[in-house]
Amino acid sequence: MGIWILIPVFLPVIAGVLLLLPVKQEDIGDGSRESLTRLHTVTAAVLVVSAVLALLAAWSGDNSYTWFELMEGIPIYFQVDDVSRLFVTVFSIAWVLVCFYAFTYMEHEGKERRFFGFYLIVYGVLVALCFSGNLVTMYLFYELMTLTSMPMVLHSGSRESIMAALKYLFYSMCGAYLGLFAIFFLYKYCDSITFTAGGTLNLALAQGHTGILLAAVMAALIGFGAKAGMFPLHAWLPTAHPVAPAPASAVLSGIIAKAGVLSIVRVVFYIVGADFIRGTWVQTAWMTLSLLTVFMGSMLAFREKVVKKRLAYSTVSQVSYILFGLSVLSPTGMEGALLHVVFHAFIKCALFLTAGIFIYRAGLSQVDQLEGIGKKMPKTLWCFTFASLALVGIPPASGFISKWYLAQGALEANVGIFGWAGPAVLLLSALLTAGYLLSIVTNGFFPKVKSNAHTAIAAEKNSLLENSAGGTQTETSSCQVSDPLAGVTEAPLGMLIPLAIFAALSILLGVFPNPLIQFVSKIAAAVM
Amino acid sequence: MRAFFLAVLVLLPIVGGALIPLLPFRSRKQMMIYTEGVVLLNSLLALLVLTNRPEGAFVLFRFTSNLSLSFSLDGLGTVFAALISVLWPLATLYAFEYMSHEEHEKFFFMFYTMTFGITMGIALAEDLVTMYCFYEMLTLVTLPLVIHTLTREAVLAGRTYLYYSLGGAAFAFIGVIFILVYGTSADFVAGGVLDLTKIGSRTNLLLLVYVLCFFGFSVKAAMWPFSGWLPKAGVAPTPVTALLHAVAVVKAGAFATMRITYYSFGTEFLRGTWAQTAVLIPIVFTIVYGCSRALKETHLKRRLAWSTVSNLSYILFGTALMTPLGLVGALCHMICHAVIKICSFFCAGAVICQSGREYIHQLDGLGKKMPKVFVIFTVSGLALMGVPGLAGFISKWNLVKAALDSAHPLAVVGVAALMISALLTAIYMLTISVRAFVLSPKTEGEVENLSHGSLASDRSSSTEEAGNADASAAHKIVPYEEVKDPGWMMLLPLVLFVAAMLVIGLHPQPLIDAFTQIASAIQ
Repeated sequence: MGIWILIPVFLPVIAGVLLLLPVKQEDIGDGSRESLTRLHTVTAAVLVVSAVLALLAAWSGDNSYTWFELMEGIPIYFQVDDVSRLFVTVFSIAWVLVCFYAFTYMEHEGKERRFFGFYLIVYGVLVALCFSGNLVTMYLFYELMTLTSMPMVLHSGSRESIMAALKYLFYSMCGAYLGLFAIFFLYKYCDSITFTAGGTLNLALAQGHTGILLAAVMAALIGFGAKAGMFPLHAWLPTAHPVAPAPASAVLSGIIAKAGVLSIVRVVFYIVGADFIRGTWVQTAWMTLSLLTVFMGSMLAFREKVVKKRLAYSTVSQVSYILFGLSVLSPTGMEGALLHVVFHAFIKCALFLTAGIFIYRAGLSQVDQLEGIGKKMPKTLWCFTFASLALVGIPPASGFISKWYLAQGALEANVGIFGWAGPAVLLLSALLTAGYLLSIVTNGFFPKVKSNAHTAIAAEKNSLLENSAGGTQTETSSCQVSDPLAGVTEAPLGMLIPLAIFAALSILLGVFPNPLIQFVSKIAAAVM
Repeated sequence: MRAFFLAVLVLLPIVGGALIPLLPFRSRKQMMIYTEGVVLLNSLLALLVLTNRPEGAFVLFRFTSNLSLSFSLDGLGTVFAALISVLWPLATLYAFEYMSHEEHEKFFFMFYTMTFGITMGIALAEDLVTMYCFYEMLTLVTLPLVIHTLTREAVLAGRTYLYYSLGGAAFAFIGVIFILVYGTSADFVAGGVLDLTKIGSRTNLLLLVYVLCFFGFSVKAAMWPFSGWLPKAGVAPTPVTALLHAVAVVKAGAFATMRITYYSFGTEFLRGTWAQTAVLIPIVFTIVYGCSRALKETHLKRRLAWSTVSNLSYILFGTALMTPLGLVGALCHMICHAVIKICSFFCAGAVICQSGREYIHQLDGLGKKMPKVFVIFTVSGLALMGVPGLAGFISKWNLVKAALDSAHPLAVVGVAALMISALLTAIYMLTISVRAFVLSPKTEGEVENLSHGSLASDRSSSTEEAGNADASAAHKIVPYEEVKDPGWMMLLPLVLFVAAMLVIGLHPQPLIDAFTQIASAIQ
């Protein structure tokens, strides 16, 4: 019965592999409109159908399916529970929207066939990861996710992008092997490796081996934390994101980083059990590392000048909000974490898509080049503004809800000094977030009048401003030549619509959060 | 099935191989058909004999009343014999295409085929003395294969190989003597043959002898500090490096350590003693050391050779755990690594043969010209680093399971070493694939320069290399545009190996059950 869980996994994977196979000369890379349209139609059709099937599989009750026995007692096993439902829904929505955005964006990157081939494969693997029912299945698809998403990073083929892709690969592999190290121990000391709410650790068996088990859990946290950008294995994020095409960085930050969170949720709450690590040094270390990452990420983002790199550091910081929420091991904290998974996915996709539009339309990648961009692309910058406000956590936008729960969770949990240090760091980081995101907004809408070095340009800009303020449409040609933003127009609809949906989601989910909150509290209540 | 056939399995390739230079072949094709015929016949016969296991032993030859060359077949021997019987015909097929532009083909195939018989002798040996004899012979018969190209580098490598192997065998011989004196017999008996009443208070002496003997045999399995010969021997033609230096010879070393640990000295006598610690320490070190050296190496075949060094120590690690589960893990990795590494070596050989490029930084962009070979190479790389679904994960899982079960303090360190090694494996294998598929190709001039630059900086090949007839002449740099995938004789084995990796990776249970049964005889 549950076999149709496999369809949304295999359909995109097979379609993606077919796209990657070499084809007749006239079909590849000639960039003709027709072949591109065909490629886009196929990709969109496959992706939408798989996403619908995945959502159907997720929301049609508790399914489970054993595909085959890898070894005795180690089946490749899929099961659908509330956590899978939450993650697969978020992943599917974001993946489909970013795909539509990518149709336009990838025109200027080229090699679309390869990009969309891997894009489809990774979606299949992600669905499988969400539906994984035991540790080994999860590990299998975790590895595959790394391997198949790597080509999206090195898409441009430049030396820089290849080095970044290898860095991504090796950090992820390092993380995966740390995770595997833990899986070996958990396999030995747990009743089963099937995910069960509350954990399956056999305390009688583990008696006397607590030390090594705790070390193994810590290894898993650091290992799977690599994908989530947690210190000390966070360094791949700011390297890989700026060089990847914007849609790829959007899903790397918004979605694939969450796969690390998903793995940590599975290991901690569905295998080890929260009780085993509550009050141990592992919990302390985990809280410390995540808070450190929250702070460090924000600080680095604050002083970063490249837009996509700034957003990457922001991801480092924000995903660690989620990890901190999990690490306090209280139901409210976990609710906040899961809410932030959803909100941050949509917000960060919106932010990266905006950064992509700046690159696509005007070739602008630096923060200070964006001065006055709001005059040229008001809709795009408004979307960016909404997403930024949501990330900062200004009520009623979505980020406020999740941060409220995160802080409350920390205060509620009996975690000593972290009870108030956590919320304090979150607050500080929120201020920094405001600093690094809203400065782009204010500069974009209200460019500064520069007086010293760029007097001439500034003067021209100034006159330009006055012109537009006065409602006159006459612009001197000399102005256009020296203005870096000259000729820049609003983003095409194909990019703007997905962006607007993400921006709307990041606000609206904050205005109507109740169904979501009920859903995550159900999850949290089940495991704690 | 009569035990007599065991001797046939050993003698047929030896005699058949020795005849190759003597028979009057009218064409190269005839020789190919004859050689492949002999090898295939022996393999089929071997599989027939292995599936109908003969009872009892066959004595080929008696030195004295209790020293003899005799063959019998038990579970462990079956695994090794089956492994080489399956791989040998495929490797021979591959060698035909590879060797087509090398000289002295007849002598090459003579020794290549004879090695089959000798290795079979090690697998089927009934007692320690027989195994030791064939072990020595293996060194001698493979030496001409190493120095085949007769370059200065090859001769030096051959000499190194000889010194290391003979030295190792000498240490191993000490073990043979002590087993003859302190054992009930020299036969291989599951659980060991040591007679505790004879040993009395000389336990520590026997343990020392075990350590010496283990080190002696592990020279062929390239354990640190005896690993230097293996990467050097990479100068041999690729069929030799692939089959002998990734499977037959080195696994014979690992096989011998299993024999002495589980069948001569016995794990009950050894487990938990200082001897176990003494062998585990260099093994765990080698696991990481081999990988690190592989990472540093820029020569494609030598990188794979260092990777073999590391992986052989996985097998030794399983062996040295001295539990039945450890033996299961070791056997698992013996099979999995054999298939994986022979596959990567064959890919490397195909690359060298088709493009003349031997250094990794010369491979840029070749993936577009040789897609089949590089896809297969990538799969073998993924298998080697242990991606689930491929063979490497299965053996790693079983090794770690055994390690955690054994409760030896060094076992956890070993598990950590395995994980570090897996990461390093990912790095040194996948960088090659990324280079081949993503980077844009270098021009011929650059490739030539790189080649000479690397050779000049290479200690062991500083002289005569450029002017010498073989390695450089046979593997002239082929212009990028003309590089293409090799013919079916090279591709067929590759495809079969990939299929084997997938089958073992997805459905390993029959294999594991068989190994568990073999190991269950040991306490």
